[in-house]
Amino acid sequence: MKKYTIIFLFAVILLPSCMDDPPVLPNTNKGNFEALWKIIDTKYCYLDYKHINWDSIHTIYEQRVTDSTEVFTFFDLMGSMLGELKDGHVNLYSSFDHSRYWKWYTDYPANFNSSLIYSKKYLGENYRIASGLRYAKINNDSIGYIYYGSFSNGFSDTNMRYVMTYFKECKGLIIDVRDNGGGMLDYSEQLASYFFKEDAITGFIRHKTGTGHSDFSDPIEIKTPAHKTLQWQRPVAILTNRMSFSATNDFVNRMKMAPNATIVGDKTGGGGGLPFSNELSNGWMIRFSASPMFDSNMQSTEWGIEPDVKDSLTKSDEAKGYDTIIERAINILKK
Amino acid sequence: MKKSIFISILFFFNYLLFAQTYSEQKYLLTSKTNTFGLSTINLTDPYISPLSYSGIGIRYDNENRHFLSPQNTKISMQSKLNIVGGLALNPAITSSMTYLGMNYGWGLHYHFRPITGLQLMAGGLWDIDFGFKYIARNVNNPVNIDLATNLNLSGVAVYDIPLRKRVLQLQLAVQSPILGCMFVPRGGASYYEMFELWNLSDAIHLSSLFNKRGINGIFSLDVPFNRSVWRFGLSYQVLKYTANDMVFKRNELSLLIGTTFDVATFGGRKNHAPGNFISTKE
Repeated sequence: MKKYTIIFLFAVILLPSCMDDPPVLPNTNKGNFEALWKIIDTKYCYLDYKHINWDSIHTIYEQRVTDSTEVFTFFDLMGSMLGELKDGHVNLYSSFDHSRYWKWYTDYPANFNSSLIYSKKYLGENYRIASGLRYAKINNDSIGYIYYGSFSNGFSDTNMRYVMTYFKECKGLIIDVRDNGGGMLDYSEQLASYFFKEDAITGFIRHKTGTGHSDFSDPIEIKTPAHKTLQWQRPVAILTNRMSFSATNDFVNRMKMAPNATIVGDKTGGGGGLPFSNELSNGWMIRFSASPMFDSNMQSTEWGIEPDVKDSLTKSDEAKGYDTIIERAINILKK
Repeated sequence: MKKSIFISILFFFNYLLFAQTYSEQKYLLTSKTNTFGLSTINLTDPYISPLSYSGIGIRYDNENRHFLSPQNTKISMQSKLNIVGGLALNPAITSSMTYLGMNYGWGLHYHFRPITGLQLMAGGLWDIDFGFKYIARNVNNPVNIDLATNLNLSGVAVYDIPLRKRVLQLQLAVQSPILGCMFVPRGGASYYEMFELWNLSDAIHLSSLFNKRGINGIFSLDVPFNRSVWRFGLSYQVLKYTANDMVFKRNELSLLIGTTFDVATFGGRKNHAPGNFISTKE
C-alpha cells in the first residue's frame, strides 16, 4: 500500500504538465507584430461577421515589419493594420499616441451643432445641470429637453426625479444623445429604465469561448428593467447622429423597444462590441471588441441602429438658428 | 494552647492542599504571532494582461496555535491570517497593477517529538484565498478577482537551539494545496456579463494537483529577549494554476519581523482565571 502511495504521488508530480506557460514572444518589432496579430486573431469578435481575411492581412503587413523600423513608423504600421478592422472600439495605445478608426462618423454629416444647442432657442445660458444631464424647457415650455453628452458622466435616480418634476407640465421629452461617444453600460440601462412600463428583453450578448473566429457562447439575454418608482409615461424622442456610439448605441437599441419612444435623426455610429484590453511586451495597450452585442432579434448592432424618423440638420435651418432634428422631434411629440 | 496548635495545623494543612491543587492544574497556552513584512511580488493574470507584473508590497501575518486540550499535547489547532498589499509594474513600466491579497486558514496538526529539541507537526489546513488585481488603464477588464478555497497539506518542523542565555527556535512551516475550488472566469467574459447579467458559466472550477500547484513556506527564527520573543523570518509563496486555457502565477518573497507570545485566555462561567491573575474587569 505504501509502495502504491509513493508511486501515485510521483505520478501526479511528474505527469506531463497541463500548466505549461504560453510561449512569450520577444520584445522586438517582429515579436510585437506577431503578438498584436495573434491577440486580434484569437480574441477579436467580428472577424467572421465582417468577412475579414486576417491571415491575408498578416501576410501583407509581415513583409513591412523589420526589427530596425523606427518606433513611430512601427506604431503607424500597427495602427494601419488595426484600421483594417474598421472598428471604433479598436485602438493601440502607446506613450506617445493612440491609433484610432473614426470613419464611422467622419465619413458622414455631423448633424449636430453645439452652438445651436446652447443658443437661447434651446438650452440657452441658464439651463439646469443635474450631474451629467443638462436640461431646459423649450418651445414655450411645452417640451422638456435634456442634452446628455457622455455615458461616462453618471446621474442618480434623485437627479432624474427632479428633472421629471421640472418637466411635469411638458407634453413630451427630448433626450439628445448626439455626439455622445459612449461610456458605461450601467448608465445606458439606468436611463432606459425610466421609459419602460415592464421589464423587457432588449438584446443579447455573447463572449468568446475559444481561439476560433466563431467560438462563441450561447447568447445571454440583456434585459431593460422597468424602473420601480420613476417612469416617464408621456412621449419621448431620442435624437441621434453618427457620433452616437458604443454605450449610446446600446441605449438607443434599448429605447427602440420602449413604448412611447421615437428615435429621430441619423443612424447611430455603432460600436456593438464590448471592448477588452490586452497588452504587448513593449508596454503598448490594445483595446478591441471582445463580446458582440445584439438587438432583441439577434441582429448585430456593430454597424449602428437606424432611426425611426430619419432627418438631417440643414444649412438653411442652421443659418436661421434652428436645429432641424430638434424641431422634427418637437413636431412628433406635439402630435 | 492545644486548641490553637490544632487550628494552626488544620490551617496549614488546608493551605498545602490548596497549593497542591494550583500546581496540578494545567492551562492551555495559545501561541500568538504577529509579523509584518516587506515583499517582492510577481503576478501573472492573463485575464487582465498576458505579461508578468513585478513589484513590492507589504505583508501582515497573524498566527495562533494551541493544543486541543491541556491533557492532549499531541494535536494542536492553528489559525492563520495573511494580508498582502502591493504595487507591481509591467516589464516596460508603462502600466501598474494594484494587488491586494488575503488568506485565512484553519487546521489541525499532529505533533511528533522524535528527539529532544526537535518537534515535527503534520496535518491539514483548510483556507479561503482572496486576491484583487487592478490595472487602471484597462477597459471592461481592469479587475480580476482570485477566489478559492483549498485543502492543504501542512507540515512544521521546530528545532531548539540552546545558547548560554537563551534558547532560539528555528521553524520551517510548509503548506501546499491539494484539493479545492476556485473562481476563474472565461478569458472573453466580462464582469458585466458575469455579475450584472449573472452568467457565471465556466467560472467555477475544481482544483487539484493537476491544475493547481503551490508551496507556501515560512522559515523563521524566534529569539527570546527579557520580556518578549521576536520572530525574524523569510516567507515565500510559489503558486501556479490553470483554468479556461489560462495559466495564472503568483510568487512572493517576504522578509518578516514580529513578535510571538504565549497567552492564556480565561472567560465565561466555567473558565475563571485563578485568583492570582489580575484583570481590569475586577
